[in-house]
Amino acid sequence: MTVFGFILKNALRNTRRALLTISSVAVSSALLVSLMTLERELTVPPEAEGASLRIIARNKVSLMQPLPAKQLSAIQRIPGIVTVTPFTYFGGLYENEEFTSFAQFAVDPVPFQSIIVDGPVIDGSYEAWVKNRTGCLVGADTMKRYNLKVGDQMRFRGTFYPCDLDLKIEAVYQGTVDDRNIFFHHKLLDELTGDPGTVGTWYLRAESVEVADRVIQQVNDTFANTSAEVRAESERAFQMGFVSMWGNVSNLIRGVNLVVVFTLVLVAVSTMSMAVRERFRELAVLKALGFQRRDLFGFILAEGFGLSVIGGAVGIGGAWAFWTFSDIQQMTNGFLIVFEVTPRIVGMAAAVASVLGVVSSIGPAISVGRMSVVEGLKTLD
Amino acid sequence: MAADPIVQVRDLSKLYRQGDIDVTALNHVSVDIQPAEFVVLMGPSGSGKSTLLHIIAGIDRPTSGDVLVQGINVGNLSESDLATWRNQYVGFVFQSFNLIPVLTAAENVELPLLLTRLDRKSRKEQVQAALELVGLGDRLHHRPDQLSGGQQQRVAIARALVTDPVLIVADEPTGNLDAKSASDVLDILRSLSSRSGKTVIMVTHDPKAAGYGTRSLHLEKGEIVA
Ligand SMILES: Nc1ncnc2c1ncn2[C@@H]1O[C@H](COP(=O)(O)OP(=O)(O)OP(=O)(O)O)[C@@H](O)[C@H]1O
Ligand SMILES: [Mg+2]
Repeated sequence: MTVFGFILKNALRNTRRALLTISSVAVSSALLVSLMTLERELTVPPEAEGASLRIIARNKVSLMQPLPAKQLSAIQRIPGIVTVTPFTYFGGLYENEEFTSFAQFAVDPVPFQSIIVDGPVIDGSYEAWVKNRTGCLVGADTMKRYNLKVGDQMRFRGTFYPCDLDLKIEAVYQGTVDDRNIFFHHKLLDELTGDPGTVGTWYLRAESVEVADRVIQQVNDTFANTSAEVRAESERAFQMGFVSMWGNVSNLIRGVNLVVVFTLVLVAVSTMSMAVRERFRELAVLKALGFQRRDLFGFILAEGFGLSVIGGAVGIGGAWAFWTFSDIQQMTNGFLIVFEVTPRIVGMAAAVASVLGVVSSIGPAISVGRMSVVEGLKTLD
Repeated sequence: MAADPIVQVRDLSKLYRQGDIDVTALNHVSVDIQPAEFVVLMGPSGSGKSTLLHIIAGIDRPTSGDVLVQGINVGNLSESDLATWRNQYVGFVFQSFNLIPVLTAAENVELPLLLTRLDRKSRKEQVQAALELVGLGDRLHHRPDQLSGGQQQRVAIARALVTDPVLIVADEPTGNLDAKSASDVLDILRSLSSRSGKTVIMVTHDPKAAGYGTRSLHLEKGEIVA
């Protein structure tokens, strides 16, 4: 027998309790990893190379207020802009869905091509879409999710536009941060709504990162003191604006995380003190046989640490495997996209499990260290 | 008798303070014990037998007075040195066996050897020899719950003698045993002193058990009366 074998036999003497402890640490660690991943998903917007080149200009009053279509020529005259397209959120419901998780945007296909450069066309042809006024460009994720192919029709019921869409899939793109959205001709929307002369937002692309800030400033200045003042910002800043809505949710998640960790500490501490208390007499015998205080300290610490770390490994590994190999978009109806369990998250959860192992054993270890042999021998089994 | 006593107890007192009253467990006790003696401590409950045994064995400390074992003043050792001293000098046998339930007989006996420099092979040999000495050479891999009370107590004796200590202390080792098992255990303790030259100190209430010893000490109210 080795000292390690002795520790192992002690840790596993009550198999059911050891398993329960490992499971509770595992479940809590998995929960912790999932919540941290969720928080990250909600607060860190997906990032792509072009995100700081792309600029969104919206009505200064609110995102819901449209902008006059005639602003286009003024924007086009601003130096440093490669391209500009109207970009209007349709917000329709797909087929018979009660809730549709991907967005439909009306754009001008020609300038739009140099905005969506991150996502090359992988099926159909962009030119065909440009030519077909009732065609659409669809993200690969949506194609896959609804089992669609090029040439199929997609029908949308308007919610705040009083019209429906019936679009033919002409091209499929893949490789943007969000491959779910579909795009169709703004001209079609104008036609169906009686040509109101408005757009939702302007979507533009700056020549370079260096000029992007100046372009933003100039767009804002151009329409200052007009009836439709504009607020332009980089796509990244725009996303961050959405993210700030999640600020409170993020605090809530952190609160829940704290509760999870706290509960976990209580469980682990009570398990270890029970495990040690019922062995007080044996530990006193070990002391009588000549084992040092630090030996017993080590036995208890190794046991507590071992149980927590095994539980942590199972839980963290399980959560990682689950979120990595499952289709999170499918499961959440597209609400969550990436849900990446990052090394940082794994590291933090592992640190929690390790610290837990130490924290749970330190109290019992100290009380065993203080116990005199005679006292310990008097305790009943 | 040999010239030098192996255990010298000098003016030993132990007081327990309970609230405002002092309880005197040992009252200026002095006694010498020679090598290979089998000393039996007797006396009424609460007379201080266990307390004396614990202090001699280095698991309790006196309020005043000294215990010297082979010239070493046990009371002067630090906590850590005392633990090492116990490992090398003392073997313990308790009334309730006190084996570790998850370990086999052989593993229980091996425990004190984990603190020595012995390698795995010599540990195994010593464990085997110790268990054979108590007549359990064929029960190496039984766990305590697979052994009778008498067998468990013999495993405990094997654990006490495996490190080859000079002193074996036993607190009511037959208290939980039937007559047959008790006499087996007492035979082994007697032969440890007579054949192996160990000094054995045993506490007992049983006059029959006392008959196995080479000398009896009677304690009453913390003092040796005979
Ligand atoms: N931890 C303690 N606190 C207070 N008093 C104690 C403590 N331990 C022992 N005593 C007292 O010291 C005295 C001697 O106790 P000890 O255990 O040595 O008696 P004993 O002779 O072994 O008795 P028994 O035959 O019942 O085992 C008793 O009066 C006991 O109450
Ligand atoms: Mg006693």
